[in-house]
Amino acid sequence: MLKKTVIVRPELCVGCMQCMIRCAQAHSQSKSLACAIREEILAKPRIHLGVGPENKPFPNKCRHCEPAPCQEACMPWAIRDDIAQGLKIVDPTRCIGCGMCAMACPYYVIRFYQDAGAPERPSVAVKCDGCHERVAAGAIPACVAACKTGALTFDEVNLYLKQGTNRLANAVYGVKA
Amino acid sequence: MGKRDLSEYSICKDAQAMIAKAREDGVETVWDRLREQEPHCGFCELGLSCRNCIMGPCRIDPFGNGPQRGVCGADADVVVARNFGRMVAAGAAAHSDHGRDLIETLLAVGEGTTADYGIRDEAKLRRIAEEVGLAVAGKDAKAVALELAEQFFNDFGCRRGSISFIDRVPAKRRALWEKVGITPRGIDRDVVEMLHRTHMGVDNDAVNICLHAARLSLADGWGGSMIATEVSDILFGTPTPRTSKVNLGVLKADQVNILVHGHSPIVSEMILAAVHAPALLAKAKAAGAQGINLAGLCCTGNELLMRQGIPMAGNHLMTELALVTGAVEVVVVDYQCIMPSLVTVAGCYHSRIVTTSPKAKFTGATHIEFDVHNARQKAVEVVELAIERFKVRDAGRVEIPVEPVEVMTGFSNEAVLAALGGTAAPLIEAIKAGKIRGAVGIVGCNNPKVKQDYQNSNLIRECIKRDLLVLVTGCVTVSAGKQGLLMPAAADLAGPGLSEVCKALGIPPVLHVGSCVDNSRILQLCGMLATALGVDISDLPVAAAAPEWYSEKAATIGLYAVASGIFTVLGLAPPILGSKVVTDLAVSGLEGVVGASFAVEGDPVKAAELIDARIRVKRTALGLTP
Repeated sequence: MLKKTVIVRPELCVGCMQCMIRCAQAHSQSKSLACAIREEILAKPRIHLGVGPENKPFPNKCRHCEPAPCQEACMPWAIRDDIAQGLKIVDPTRCIGCGMCAMACPYYVIRFYQDAGAPERPSVAVKCDGCHERVAAGAIPACVAACKTGALTFDEVNLYLKQGTNRLANAVYGVKA
Repeated sequence: MGKRDLSEYSICKDAQAMIAKAREDGVETVWDRLREQEPHCGFCELGLSCRNCIMGPCRIDPFGNGPQRGVCGADADVVVARNFGRMVAAGAAAHSDHGRDLIETLLAVGEGTTADYGIRDEAKLRRIAEEVGLAVAGKDAKAVALELAEQFFNDFGCRRGSISFIDRVPAKRRALWEKVGITPRGIDRDVVEMLHRTHMGVDNDAVNICLHAARLSLADGWGGSMIATEVSDILFGTPTPRTSKVNLGVLKADQVNILVHGHSPIVSEMILAAVHAPALLAKAKAAGAQGINLAGLCCTGNELLMRQGIPMAGNHLMTELALVTGAVEVVVVDYQCIMPSLVTVAGCYHSRIVTTSPKAKFTGATHIEFDVHNARQKAVEVVELAIERFKVRDAGRVEIPVEPVEVMTGFSNEAVLAALGGTAAPLIEAIKAGKIRGAVGIVGCNNPKVKQDYQNSNLIRECIKRDLLVLVTGCVTVSAGKQGLLMPAAADLAGPGLSEVCKALGIPPVLHVGSCVDNSRILQLCGMLATALGVDISDLPVAAAAPEWYSEKAATIGLYAVASGIFTVLGLAPPILGSKVVTDLAVSGLEGVVGASFAVEGDPVKAAELIDARIRVKRTALGLTP
């Protein structure tokens, strides 16, 4: 089976922040927007919008690197790769909030908040988990489902790049895609 | 439309068959577009986005991570209240501008500048004129019409301090409105003031904005909508009970089919006059048709159904599907709730959409503009166009999926009182005796987020089972009618008390009282009952519900019901959940301010339980059996 991943095309992003709000909803206890915003420990988005020149938005999320600098820096082995294949997922019950992962991450996609997965801890690392539960249930990641412009798609990366190559080939010969 | 089962879209056989045909014909429908839009914008869903100025647009992060204030400094509560206020203002504007068009017609009749319209219920004209304080003795109908039109025009401004029908409000309720400061002053004034207040830097207190939303909604319910109802009765006749038919089966394969869609009776009544013209019938026969068949959609359909017994083809979610039958020559529209997509769907068949109002044009439609001076002639043009389109109908693409169902209609307050022997006393006695435990207005729309007609019809079933008399208007009329609930035989589905009363009077347990502006009939009836009992409306064993609502107008109706003291259950939440202050006010705080509040419940059984619990409390407080 081909392994799909979230592919980001920042040039298509309009900065609507729907990916953020639906990400937080997908990681809430209730999974419903109206209830999620009333939970005691509010869920947090794991995708972030950077602001570039002329307000150009840049959706930024974990790449699930291999090897992953965050995982190598994590002393309590809280960033696990045995929960879902190919995904680096924070286990909040192990995280001590030391911040080493965030320091090691070259993409600035880790944040620190109280998390409903370990409510007794004041602050743990919160990052993209690839929506592994949604994907296992046959859905696509919440950020992709929310994106109306195609800035975020869920695809097999080489298949996506192959399609891009074909588009380029057409463009070279003056055919409109 | 994907692989979803047809029964997930609608409980109606005609809808299911036409959704299947739309798929085969490659026609995009409202359900396809909903799927494209989902998930909707989460900020907008919660009411947390503000587009009122260009320091923004701004969004408040409901998860507390991002911005908690707009650029101007407005917090979640203010942003939500602003948006809700404008929503209610738009709904009131729609109903009330419709009402104003009827006054303009009344004025033209009074001035004698129209030969096309007249007074069909002169007794009601005189009665209403007297009620609002005009001297009518010795004056002819035209003179009274002129004065009444002038009087009602003034209700739209703010000259007199309040609106003409304020005296229909029970004394206790009026005193409450005065105390809270929400007595409506003028229809346009209160709507415009909401636009003012929600401009940046004006009203920045969420509760204050919401109270003004309540006031302007009352200007609609007891003002614009009530005027629309009463003037429509004066011009076109006060409804009396009659029977008709409903669903897509009212279309006729061998006739020219014309549908009227929209809200006002001004255009649709003229179309009705034209379809009976012998010259046009002859033209239709010459074109190979057996006749000209007129049917209604949405509220203008309700107007014709109530007064003339014209059949109803469907409600909101049936409007595209009616075209998919391939049997509709022309849909003639005025305004409100007409999906822009109809032009595209019509383009997939031989059908034409005819727009008639200068304020409601649709790119790609045929515009035949109606006014009070040319309406009859323009109606003839519409029917002639329909006959021309009949000639190019492709019989191979026609599918009329079901047989029509019978409905009983025409229950204006006048008709109800006449049936009771001239006064509300027998109704009050039945309520006191517990045979009728209370009354519920079940009104509103369809919404593709909800399985069509499921919540509407099942809430009705649950209420009548509990001996609650149900009054329906608007799109719920068709939901009820298609399920056979608008016929006297439905009394068998009612509880023993209600069933007994219905059988004695030969009426259904669900009374059709009109279009959505005719919710004002329900307000008036509640006012009469409360006054007769010497109590406030909020003391009555009554409730309201809008199970499948979608529109700004429905938000306004819900709010004027609550502000009038009627507990109201919504099937879908309005976009206010992003504010705790506004949400708490809506679902509980208003109880302490106006004696009623909202509830949100999408399950018809649970909604009926909420209504039942409310009515128990009210009955007990009145010293009646629960």
